Amino acid sequence: MRVLIIEDEAELADSIIAYLSTENYSCELAATFALAMQKISAFDYDCILLDISLPDGNGLKILEELKYKDKQDGVIIISAKDSIDDRIKGLQIGADDYLVKPFHLSELAARVFSLIRRKKFGSANIIKQGELEIDLPAKSVSINHQQVVLTRKEFDLLLYFVGNRNRVLSKSTLAEHLSGELADMLDNHDFVYAHIKNLKKKLNEAGCGQYLKTVYGTGYKWEG
Amino acid sequence: MQMKPLLSKTTKPFLTYVLIVLAVSVPTYYFVVDTIWQIELDEHNQLLADKTEFEFNRLKLSEEKLLRSIVLWDEIQPSTAIRKIGLNDSGLDSTYTLDKQKSYSQTVNLDRFRCLSTVILLNGKPYRFIVETNIEEIRETVAVIAVTTIFFFIIIVIGLLMITRKLSLKVWQPFRDILEKLKAFNLNQHTHIEFEKTDVKEFEELNQSLDKLIEHNVSAFKTQKEFTENASHELQTPLAILKSKLDILLQSDGLTENQYNIVEEMNRTLTRSSRINKNLLLLAKIDNGQFDSSETIQFKPILEQYIALLQEHFEHKKLELGTTLLSELSVNGNNSLTEILINNLLMNAIRHTAITGVVSVTLINTRLEIANTGEQALLKQQLFKRFSRQSTDNNGSGLGLAIIAEICKFHQWEVGYKFEDQQHIFYISF
Repeated sequence: MRVLIIEDEAELADSIIAYLSTENYSCELAATFALAMQKISAFDYDCILLDISLPDGNGLKILEELKYKDKQDGVIIISAKDSIDDRIKGLQIGADDYLVKPFHLSELAARVFSLIRRKKFGSANIIKQGELEIDLPAKSVSINHQQVVLTRKEFDLLLYFVGNRNRVLSKSTLAEHLSGELADMLDNHDFVYAHIKNLKKKLNEAGCGQYLKTVYGTGYKWEG
Repeated sequence: MQMKPLLSKTTKPFLTYVLIVLAVSVPTYYFVVDTIWQIELDEHNQLLADKTEFEFNRLKLSEEKLLRSIVLWDEIQPSTAIRKIGLNDSGLDSTYTLDKQKSYSQTVNLDRFRCLSTVILLNGKPYRFIVETNIEEIRETVAVIAVTTIFFFIIIVIGLLMITRKLSLKVWQPFRDILEKLKAFNLNQHTHIEFEKTDVKEFEELNQSLDKLIEHNVSAFKTQKEFTENASHELQTPLAILKSKLDILLQSDGLTENQYNIVEEMNRTLTRSSRINKNLLLLAKIDNGQFDSSETIQFKPILEQYIALLQEHFEHKKLELGTTLLSELSVNGNNSLTEILINNLLMNAIRHTAITGVVSVTLINTRLEIANTGEQALLKQQLFKRFSRQSTDNNGSGLGLAIIAEICKFHQWEVGYKFEDQQHIFYISF
């Protein structure tokens, strides 16, 4: 999978590349507007991570160029701008997702994963791992072809784990993912336990392998 | 201190001064009038003596006739007397003032007289001539002068009051204009004050000084707000880098549980700082008026939505939630700000209620109340200020209530806090 990262902050770009590269993504970096324009016209990418504020131009222009050329690359805007107007503008021009800085790399990875799968498999978007099957468009899970009923949050968590397979996810990261902006206002993140416990129980009872491991006491890792 | 209008401040000392001057003038006038009178009467008495002497001598009467004439004189001229010179007469002139009882009056009725006692020569022989002329009594003179003075004092007071009132209306008009405009001025509302031109030098100077001061303040305020917005904005990127580095660190092989916990603590702290940063940015944006206030807000659906969203957190803390949403209220305002407002109020209630406490949400008519059980009242003055904390829990950004207050101010809603029946109650009137 080819991922283009258009980001002028070298440190952030490095981290993104380091995190995503462990999966079978091949990452490329464009630190300037000019370089980004060159790359998008020369190649096709499965996913483009786009920072709007670049030193030599507006990232939205790149998005417009992509849409003008009718390119099918998936685009996730990563921006420090958090206003609804900015979001709406970005999504109207044709971005697939919008992520506000600062974000967890696991959040980014999960979104890149979902976006690429959506683009690539369309309605036949089913993730398989052994006896586990996740039907993304239908939002349903089955184990050994037996459907398992999950709550919306449990399904969300499962997808998050799968999108970050073989990587350590901390409790606070999961809490932020589950409750967004609310998480840091809460006294404790114990509510994450409840959801994970339920998810584990449902999967185990249906005969799913022990893919979800607890690490370092309060962290989690999906192996597969 | 009791406040007095400017007018009474200037009029009072002025009137006191006039009163003192006029009070001093009464004895002065009396003294002057009395002195003039005495001098005139002394002159008149002297003239009378001289005339009597001359007239008698012109008649060239015999000694016997003269004596008879003197007797006659004394009888028909009651205010004068001609006496033979006694043996112990010093032969000197004297003038004096005398109070005498009226001879025909039964009651005490004193008349004042100015007298001259002098020596005249009749047919070459010296006689003592005494003349008494009625002079105005002291109290009468004083009374008349005092009455006149009081009369003029009253005229001065009335005149002064009328003139100052009229003048102050006219002269201070520009000042009152300035005052009204300053009262209506709000640094937050980006309006410019246009002072009216006046032809009074002092007011024109005041206008110019105020113009300068306001301009300076507005620009300083703007710079400060822009700074907050830019600073918060610029901070997002380094925070993003830090966060991503921690995520990378978490993936390292051979991380100990202890190290993992440190990373996790840093994660939490980092999340908190980015929360503070986002909230500051939000406050700056509200301050800058960057929100549209013409959207239609329906409170009931928003409240229901957020209560549902936070349901699991209520359950997690075993809080009893009572909702009474009776009003289908819809007002104009900004939806995303209202959502933040409701979210903050509910989160606040969840965070600060002890386990198994009670939270109630009430929307009746145009009033929203969110109450939660608590131990003791919070300090009202500090409550809505930025970064003022009243709990030992340090997880919050310290801006939640400040944002609530700011959002209410933006919409011109009234927000308040009270502590009743062991309940913290936050209310908003729309």
